[in-house]
Amino acid sequence: MQEYPLLFLIWLLPLAGAILIWAFGPQLKSLAGPIGSALIGVSFVAALFSWNDATTAAGAHQALFAWLPQFAFGLQWDRISLVWTLIITGVGFLIHVYSIGYLAGEKAFARFFAYLNFFIFAMLTLVLSDNFVGLLVGWGLVGLASYLLIGYYFERPAAVAASRKAFVINVVGDMGILYAVFVIVAKIGAIGYADVFTHVSKFSSGELFAVCLGLFIGCAAKSAQVPLHTWLPDAMEGPTPVSALIHAATMVTAGVYLIARCAPLWNASSDARVLVGSIGALTAITGAILGCAQWDIKRILAYSTMSQIGYMIMGVGVGAYDAGILHFLTHAFFKAQLFLGAGIIIHNLANQQDVRLMGGLRKQMPFAFAAMTIGVLSICGIPGFAGFFSKDAVLSETLAHGHPVMWAVGVLTAGLTAYYMFRMLFVTFLGAYRGNVDPSELGLRHPELAGTATPHADDEHAHAHVHAPAWLMTAPVAVLMVPTVLIGWLDAGGDASPWGRFFAPVFGTFVPTASTPPDILTSLIVLVLIAAGITVAYMRYGNPQALLDAIPRLRSETVRMPGALSNAFYFDAAIDALFVKPSIALGEFFSRVIDPHVIDAGVREASISANWLGHLFRSFQTGLVRAYALALAFGAACFALYYVVIGAGR
Amino acid sequence: MSAPVDAYVIVSAILFFIGVVGVIARRNPLIQLMSIELLFNSANLALVTFARSWGNNAGHIFAFLVITVAAAEAAIGLAIVVIVFRKTTFVDVDEVATLKG
Repeated sequence: MQEYPLLFLIWLLPLAGAILIWAFGPQLKSLAGPIGSALIGVSFVAALFSWNDATTAAGAHQALFAWLPQFAFGLQWDRISLVWTLIITGVGFLIHVYSIGYLAGEKAFARFFAYLNFFIFAMLTLVLSDNFVGLLVGWGLVGLASYLLIGYYFERPAAVAASRKAFVINVVGDMGILYAVFVIVAKIGAIGYADVFTHVSKFSSGELFAVCLGLFIGCAAKSAQVPLHTWLPDAMEGPTPVSALIHAATMVTAGVYLIARCAPLWNASSDARVLVGSIGALTAITGAILGCAQWDIKRILAYSTMSQIGYMIMGVGVGAYDAGILHFLTHAFFKAQLFLGAGIIIHNLANQQDVRLMGGLRKQMPFAFAAMTIGVLSICGIPGFAGFFSKDAVLSETLAHGHPVMWAVGVLTAGLTAYYMFRMLFVTFLGAYRGNVDPSELGLRHPELAGTATPHADDEHAHAHVHAPAWLMTAPVAVLMVPTVLIGWLDAGGDASPWGRFFAPVFGTFVPTASTPPDILTSLIVLVLIAAGITVAYMRYGNPQALLDAIPRLRSETVRMPGALSNAFYFDAAIDALFVKPSIALGEFFSRVIDPHVIDAGVREASISANWLGHLFRSFQTGLVRAYALALAFGAACFALYYVVIGAGR
Repeated sequence: MSAPVDAYVIVSAILFFIGVVGVIARRNPLIQLMSIELLFNSANLALVTFARSWGNNAGHIFAFLVITVAAAEAAIGLAIVVIVFRKTTFVDVDEVATLKG
């Protein structure tokens, strides 16, 4: 077995940072941020140095320990782990640096960086593990990190509720993966990817589908796929850098990673491909529709994240693994940039997140405007920007794999994406600043609904006094602009491109059938729909007339928002009615009936009968020795009689 | 080997029965202790009888063991009787019933 100790460095530096910052946070004070960032940076550099070892035929491997002889744990370093590790540590490093500026002056500055480093470690555990159990451990740890970071402002009830919701839904997903692991172990008796994938033929088609379904339930929960997506918009209660790193760039793409990693399973099960592709397409369109109806800038981005992950899941689901991973790569850059740009706005507006109360920020914050514009152009898929290459790759490969309905849904989603992203851009940056307008004039019934600003007032003052150098927040965004624009060119040229050749040894080369329409057709249709989306957004929010009477327009739109949209298609209400309420009712039934009348009553009756029996047996305890002797003799006589009778019977 | 095995066993049973009746019917603890000795020795007689009849010496060894235990029992029993009689004046086990529930 090949040894590769450098992996320990990549893997454990973030853990070391988490422990160090957690243990010595009060002493480190504001040093916690730079130390945490530096360790992630070193991890990233180490991963870059190991690039060539990942691209060898077998990759690199580092054994850890054997739980049981056939259940060996280890770290795996191949092309898939390489891509994810570079994104996790690279984007993670930039967001760490950004966080130093964003969270300067927070009371729990060190705690934040301890959690963030711990998240990086957990995510690396997930992607570096060479077996399903190690993956599940990482899967659970990132869920914990996500829980801790969403609930970072634990004095805010909304943040606590959101973190709990995220954790519970993710545990539902963990159960799915656990079930799949059970089936795999029962059938194959091994947990290593290599062992499992060489024995895929041992599964019957039903068992294979069960395994894929179990794994996909985990993916759906982690990657916010319908109907387990409801935690993601709520997760925006966490600090904005967390939303950028965990709930956009890395953790929520763990589902994409898992499906790409388990490509041999999906390749063998067409049912699983159809299921996952369909859910991905459904999620893409659901997220896009709901993204059109949000007013909170972070929730707009959250729904767009959900929609984009829908694309990725659709891509890897139908078998277009390299396209799905490419979309993960480009999305990690442009969505991190969008979130960090939004973070600059939120930071400068004292935690205002409602776009209705923004407006006209183009002159006030030109850098944020430039960053957001580039991000929006990229996510919409304007030709030349990164999103164009990856989205078109996913769509055209979906069609090439023979799924025209998913393709159509995806194409429609592309148009909607252009609409709601430009809507956000126009409402936020154009026109006049509306921050001083009375919220009721905009149709906001309760001022506290306008954002998280009011309950967060204490922290505002902390922010006002401490201002980190501005470059800490702008530099990471500026660095992210480069890949947001350029990274897509990796895929220019299809299979012959650097990207296509990079993943050809892993996933093989897909040869489309002759009847498949050319990729250019998809691109053209998508472009027409994007143009339509931008035009509609411009007509509604961007043209000079709309900007002049923005306040009444936004008010009427707020008031007339259909209930289905403002309630996010009632997913929360449905989950509440189907699972939460029955669980509470069951709990109340048990507390009112079962607990007092069965469990308590049982204990009570046991003690009463013990008492009664004691009284009964007391009467036998006469203290007369001769009575005891008589009882003994009587017992012995009974024995003797028994053997006499038995003996006579023989 | 003059008498048949049955005769020994019958003697043993009679001794055992006398012992049982002595323990149960008499109230004097000294008589009861003597009856218990009868019980032991009826058992010893049966053990030795069967050991000879089967040609197996384990029964003989066991009889010696029982004699040892009987000696220890007599010592402890008499000691208890002496202690009880120091505290009370009567010679009747039925009066010694402090363990009554």
